[in-house]
Amino acid sequence: MSRSLVQLGYFTRTALRGLRSSPITSAIAVITIGVSLVLVGAFMLLLGNMEGLLDRFGDDLYVTAYLDDALAAEDQRALVELVTTVEGVEHVRMVSKEEALERFRAGVGRGAALLEGLDENPLPASLEITLAPARRTSDGLRIVVESLDGLPGVADLASGQDWVEGYLRAVALIRGVGIGLGVILALATLLIVANTIRLAVLARDDEIEILALVGASRAFVAVPFLLEGLVQGAAGGAAALVLLLGIFHLVLPGFEFGLEFLLGGVAPRFFSGAEAAALVGGGASLGLFGSVAALSGGWRA
Amino acid sequence: MTRGGRSSRFWSRDRRGVPALESRGDAAIRMFHVSKAYGAGSFALRDVSLEFRKGEFVFLTGPSGAGKTTLLKLLFSAEQPSEGQIVVLGRNIARLGRTAVPLLRRRIGVVFQDFKLLPRRTVEENVALSLDVVGTPRRAVRQKVFAILKQLGLQHRRYHHPLSLSGGEQQRIAIARALVNEPEILLADEPTGNLDPDLTLDIMDLIASAATRGTTVIVATHELSLVSRYGKRAVRLDGGGVVEDSLPPGAPA
Repeated sequence: MSRSLVQLGYFTRTALRGLRSSPITSAIAVITIGVSLVLVGAFMLLLGNMEGLLDRFGDDLYVTAYLDDALAAEDQRALVELVTTVEGVEHVRMVSKEEALERFRAGVGRGAALLEGLDENPLPASLEITLAPARRTSDGLRIVVESLDGLPGVADLASGQDWVEGYLRAVALIRGVGIGLGVILALATLLIVANTIRLAVLARDDEIEILALVGASRAFVAVPFLLEGLVQGAAGGAAALVLLLGIFHLVLPGFEFGLEFLLGGVAPRFFSGAEAAALVGGGASLGLFGSVAALSGGWRA
Repeated sequence: MTRGGRSSRFWSRDRRGVPALESRGDAAIRMFHVSKAYGAGSFALRDVSLEFRKGEFVFLTGPSGAGKTTLLKLLFSAEQPSEGQIVVLGRNIARLGRTAVPLLRRRIGVVFQDFKLLPRRTVEENVALSLDVVGTPRRAVRQKVFAILKQLGLQHRRYHHPLSLSGGEQQRIAIARALVNEPEILLADEPTGNLDPDLTLDIMDLIASAATRGTTVIVATHELSLVSRYGKRAVRLDGGGVVEDSLPPGAPA
């Protein structure tokens, strides 16, 4: 067996012994990391789902150009050809006044009786403009709308641009709050882990002194403490993952209205395998860096 | 070499009157004009020059505060000298880097008056520490620990915890930990200071036996009866300086 493997065995046994020797302090560190990562993880889930929704909306983004009633049929055809040449436009479909009325009638169902009393069709003809795939973003949409604005015969333009931009602002806000909260919680967690490991170092002062006496290198003394921090962090990350999974499957379905508001009826998704691993890995990293911070103060040897 | 009779100095002077070490090629430890001060003017050791040969058994004697413990601490690099040079097993202590100190300590066994055992580890785990730090495989660790414990008559205690054992047994475990790696130097600081008189000789015999296997043994003690009983070289310190470096009459130079 190689020397590294032999020492890894020793480090693992020593780290686990250290965790067992101070179960309450270790548990507090794990819970702290877990709670922090639940909050950060919840923000990650919310953001992931909202950004996913934006991606899916992209395919449905189109612009409607309402035409002047006075525009002659010949001019309407010319306008269709003109709009087709606008950069970022993939396809243009003409919707006549009659088709618009039919759609409205079909859309309102029994309420269509209201239309019976009208002398003339109040709905304008319109152009349904589908964007090229590369332009199916908020910025792409804005550029196409600006190109179409002011074309002769176009009375008004409608697009989901305002909604998309508002949604993007909400996503950016949540991301900002999530990052800010993540940084604060990460710092707090680092301090807690560093403190826990520092206490462990102080509690095992005699052990460190004897190890130094028999010729242990600094790395030999430090590695078990680093492993302790790593294990505490990973355990906190795993606990957060399990808790989030529980919330996702057991609690979230009870908040249908809120989900509908945020996600527009799209079924929320949980973390992918890689994202879940990143959460646990993030916990492990916090634990490891906390231990490094704790050991950077040195020890008696 | 002028060393020989009682009170003879280990040192000669060269033609300019500067003390010079008459060193032999088989020196395990050489100290050149070593001083150690804690704060301004508070000397624990003052201008000490000594040489200890390989396999030599030496007592360091003197009253409390004479500098015995400080001298031992300098030898395993727990302290650095304020002045002078110390060469241990061919390495200059003052020039040892942070990574070299552990390597040197693996060649030195140290035994203390207060045993310095880990109460929550078993006897076997305590002794194994010296082997763990050098990455000895577990099976070899168990074999070596069993062998040394058997040699010291403690093999039946290997799964016990130190606090359940007598003082003599605890000190024997500390000696086992110091010797299990077959060190080239064994340093013992008042190893029998906490023990009953009937256990003292038992422990001293164990320590002395290491010298017969080629280990340089230095024992700091204030018990002069031990020095006369074993008839070995004795270096007497007082006020941080060497006041006597002697061999008993008839001892080989």
